[in-house]
Amino acid sequence: MNAEGHPSARSTPVILLVVALLCALLLTAAACPGAAAVPAEGSDNGMPVLRSAAAAEDEVAYSAVREMTGPEGAQDREVRVRVVNRPGEGMALAPVGDEESALVVRSSSALESLDERLLSMLQDTYSVMDAGVADLGGRETRVVEAERADGTVAGRFWVDTGTGLLLGRTVYGAPGEPALSVRLTGLVLGEGPWPDGETGDLPWGDALTGAERADLRGRGWHLPEYLAWNLRLVDARSTRHAERRVVHAVYSDGLSQVSVFTQRGKLDAEHSPTLRNGYVGTGTGGGGVTTQHDTIFGGDTGQYQSMWQADGFVYTVLADAPAGLASSAVTALPDPGGSGFWARVRRGLARLGFL
Amino acid sequence: MGHLGERLSALVDGELGPAEHESALIHLAKCEPCRFEADMMRRLKRRLNGLCEPEPDTDFMGRLTSLSQDHGPAGRGPSDPPSGGAGFGARPPLGSSRPLGGLSGGGHPAAAPGVPPTPGDAAPTRPGRAERPDRRRFGGDRLAHLFPAFPGGRYAVAGLAVATALIGSAFVAGGDSEETPVVEPRLSDYAVEHAVTSRHMPVVDASPTAADAPHGSSEATR
Repeated sequence: MNAEGHPSARSTPVILLVVALLCALLLTAAACPGAAAVPAEGSDNGMPVLRSAAAAEDEVAYSAVREMTGPEGAQDREVRVRVVNRPGEGMALAPVGDEESALVVRSSSALESLDERLLSMLQDTYSVMDAGVADLGGRETRVVEAERADGTVAGRFWVDTGTGLLLGRTVYGAPGEPALSVRLTGLVLGEGPWPDGETGDLPWGDALTGAERADLRGRGWHLPEYLAWNLRLVDARSTRHAERRVVHAVYSDGLSQVSVFTQRGKLDAEHSPTLRNGYVGTGTGGGGVTTQHDTIFGGDTGQYQSMWQADGFVYTVLADAPAGLASSAVTALPDPGGSGFWARVRRGLARLGFL
Repeated sequence: MGHLGERLSALVDGELGPAEHESALIHLAKCEPCRFEADMMRRLKRRLNGLCEPEPDTDFMGRLTSLSQDHGPAGRGPSDPPSGGAGFGARPPLGSSRPLGGLSGGGHPAAAPGVPPTPGDAAPTRPGRAERPDRRRFGGDRLAHLFPAFPGGRYAVAGLAVATALIGSAFVAGGDSEETPVVEPRLSDYAVEHAVTSRHMPVVDASPTAADAPHGSSEATR
């Protein structure tokens, strides 16, 4: 009798321990930071407001000053840009006080199509809700909020009730702090002065279809459809530099935009990637790039950049996004640690068709 | 008391006459080394009988080869017949040598209890020929003690060889191609393209400068 009682007495603490571990695992999973990393459900009743704002850009001529503000704590976090919008013609952007360095974005069906995809991505990723009316710089605006699945606000829009123009937009990082804010001030309706000697034009003309992207992937190009759960490929274009293809892939969550430029090759060991504005990219010739891969440069005005080489390709990332999103985009791309033994073996297996 | 010697093999093969058979059994009852060797021979015979495939097992072939090499001087090929022109089976029986399991006390078989090391003792084979296989077996036993029993060892070795060849090939194939061009990304163009699609001012200065000019479209092949 006693001999039968001992095993059950010993197994009871084990069972209790297992149950406690399972409970701890469940609680940890419920409280993990990835709980919000799913598309948010909602009525999306703010989408019509945003669609009307996108349409207004093609209908209302205006000039204004666009104030872009980066995250708090950054130096030179504010940039002021003069904006002139002419429906059917395009939009001219020039830094205030340096109008000669203007950039012109011509109106095109490609950009209209991109706007549609960005709005769709916003609707798919967030719950886009009409948050009522608010005053912004003395103008009455309708506020639209993009909420994450956990209820936090990822982005907020202010749409002018009179003209339908988008007067303000703020993107919030995961902690809830503003990462990038854009405000239109000094709004003047009507056609403003068009800058001379502008640069810029249309997006690269060779839009890549799904079949062309699949073909490139088959030839070793890294063109994922997603960089993160909320960063989906919304546009892919290609051009040629020195007779070699360069691919521009645009990823977005509807609020932010990340551009990934990919080209075959490797960085010159003698070329310093130091940029003119003082930002320093990855190391030369691949040296030191591993330690800098997770580092993205910039951020004063909510814009980031990074460049590195991996697996016979050079990647350049330019992002208008919160730091966390830009960093996740960079780390989702091939790691530059291609100088190690196992990296070389992995690359060889891929070339031999085993991976 | 002498050991069974050749009679041990005949006993296992059932070739002894009734009287000799009885005598051998009586000896086996008393002699632990001979009993052990008889047991080993029976196992070997059962294993040989179990080989039904036309192609002999490679392990078995290896052992055959090593056995044949024991008969003659080093340097003979595995296909050469053993010395004396006899094949496997014609070799003197194991009973003339020390039992496989060794003897208690670890002494030489000639020094075994009850077996005086006299030159006149009837021994079917020369002492030197009997010592070599023993030494080989003892070495194998020592290795067997060092490593745990692993029946799939041959497959593990084959797998290791394949993996090594695969990794080596992948390492060679994964090297930098001489044709990989050295490129300098046109950051100015990228910044403009990004600005056009995002309709923001470029993240880097879009105007061409001296930094871009010498390499603007530079591309070389190393």
